[in-house]
Amino acid sequence: MTALALTFLGLLLIGGAPRVLSGLPALRRSPRPTLMLWQATAFVGTVCVIAAGPVAAVSIWPLDRAGVDVAAAYVALAVSGLSLAMVLVNGHLIGSHLRRARRTHEELLDLVGDEQSGRLTVLSHPTPTAYCVPGRRRRVVLSTGVLEQLAEDELAAVLAHERAHLGERHDLLLEYFTVSHRSAPPWLRSRRALREVRLLIEVLADRAARGHAGDVPLARALVRLSGAHTPQAMMGAADIAHVTARMNLLAAPPAPRWQVPCVYAATVLVVALPLLTVLLTG
Amino acid sequence: MPNSRSSLGSLERSVMDVIWDDPAAKGLTVREVLDRLQTKRPLAYTTVMTVLSRLAEKGTLERTRDGRAWRYRTTTTRQQLTAEAMRDPLGELDQEQRTSAILHFIEDATEDELASLRAALDAVEVRAAGEHGATPSS
Repeated sequence: MTALALTFLGLLLIGGAPRVLSGLPALRRSPRPTLMLWQATAFVGTVCVIAAGPVAAVSIWPLDRAGVDVAAAYVALAVSGLSLAMVLVNGHLIGSHLRRARRTHEELLDLVGDEQSGRLTVLSHPTPTAYCVPGRRRRVVLSTGVLEQLAEDELAAVLAHERAHLGERHDLLLEYFTVSHRSAPPWLRSRRALREVRLLIEVLADRAARGHAGDVPLARALVRLSGAHTPQAMMGAADIAHVTARMNLLAAPPAPRWQVPCVYAATVLVVALPLLTVLLTG
Repeated sequence: MPNSRSSLGSLERSVMDVIWDDPAAKGLTVREVLDRLQTKRPLAYTTVMTVLSRLAEKGTLERTRDGRAWRYRTTTTRQQLTAEAMRDPLGELDQEQRTSAILHFIEDATEDELASLRAALDAVEVRAAGEHGATPSS
C-alpha cells in the first residue's frame, strides 16, 4: 500500500508538478525560490519512484512464498531498479557528452581567442555575441563586435549575467534537469517544463545583471544582441520566446511580498510529502 | 603553477598564427615554423614537431610529404575557425536531445520579435524613468 502510494506520488511529482509549475508565469518573478521548488519536485519524485520497490519488498518480507503480493513486489523492485539505472546511465552519458564538447570548444578558443585577464576571452568577429563556457577552465567569451557596439553599462550588464552563470554553477543545475528529463519515460516528460527551467536560469542571471548594472542597460543589451545574427546559428522557437519573456519581466512590477515565502513553503511541503505518505499509509 | 594544457594551448596558437600568416600556402616544415616562431625562450625542434603533429591529428592542419620532411598547411582560415567558435557545439541537436555546452547571453530573433522587443525596451525605460522621478533619492 505504501509502495503504491509512493509510486503514485513520484509519478505526480515527475509528470504532474512540472506541468503545473510551467503554467504559472508569475513564478518567474521569484526565480531563485522557484528553481528550488523545481529541484525539490524533480529530486523527491525520483527518490519516491526508486524507493517504492524496496519498500514493497520489505513490507511483505520474506519473499520466499508464492502469491500475487510477492509477484507484485518483484515487479516493483524491477521498476525501481530500472529507474535507478536510467538516472545513472543518463547522468553519465549527458555529463561526458557535455564535457567532451566543452573540451573541444576550449581547444578551438585556444587557437582563435584572445585570452585576457579576469577569465575573459575575446573573439575577433564583427557579430556581437556573448557566452560563457562553464567547467574547470571557466570563462566568459565576447566578440569584438559586442565590445564595439555596446555602451559601457550595457557591457557591464552582459558580463554580470555571464559571471552569474559561472559563479552560481547554473550549468550543473541545467545538467541536473536535463538528466531528470531524459530519465523519465517519454509519456511522462514535458518539454515545456525543461524550457521553463532554462528560462528561469536566464532570469536568475538577469537578476544579477540588474543588480549590477540596472534594468535599462540590461534591456538595451538584450535588444542589441538579439538583433545580431550569429553565423549559422540554429534556433529553436522556444529560445526566442525566452528573450521576449525576459524583456517583459524587466518591465513588470516585482513579485508581491508574499510570493517568496509561499514558494519556499511549497518546497518544504514537497520534501515532506514522502514522509507524510509513509505515515498515513504505513 | 600554470597548467600545462593552457601553455600547450598558447604554443598551438603561436604555431597556428605562423601558419596562417604564411603567404605561400604551400605549407611550412617544422624547421620553417621554428625559425618564424618568436618566443622569449628558445624552443626545441621536437616540441614544435609534437605541436604540429597534434594539430594534424585533430584535423586543424593537413600535412604532405616533401622529401624527408612534412609540410603543414591549414584546412581552415582563422575567420572560419572564429565563426565556428561563435556557436554552441551542441546547439544544433534537436530539441529533445538538446543540451548546452555553453550558455549564450541571447539567441537570435526575427524582425517581428525585434519590434516587440523594442516596444518592451520602451516600457522598461518608461518604468525606470518613472521610478527615478518618484523617488529622486534612489
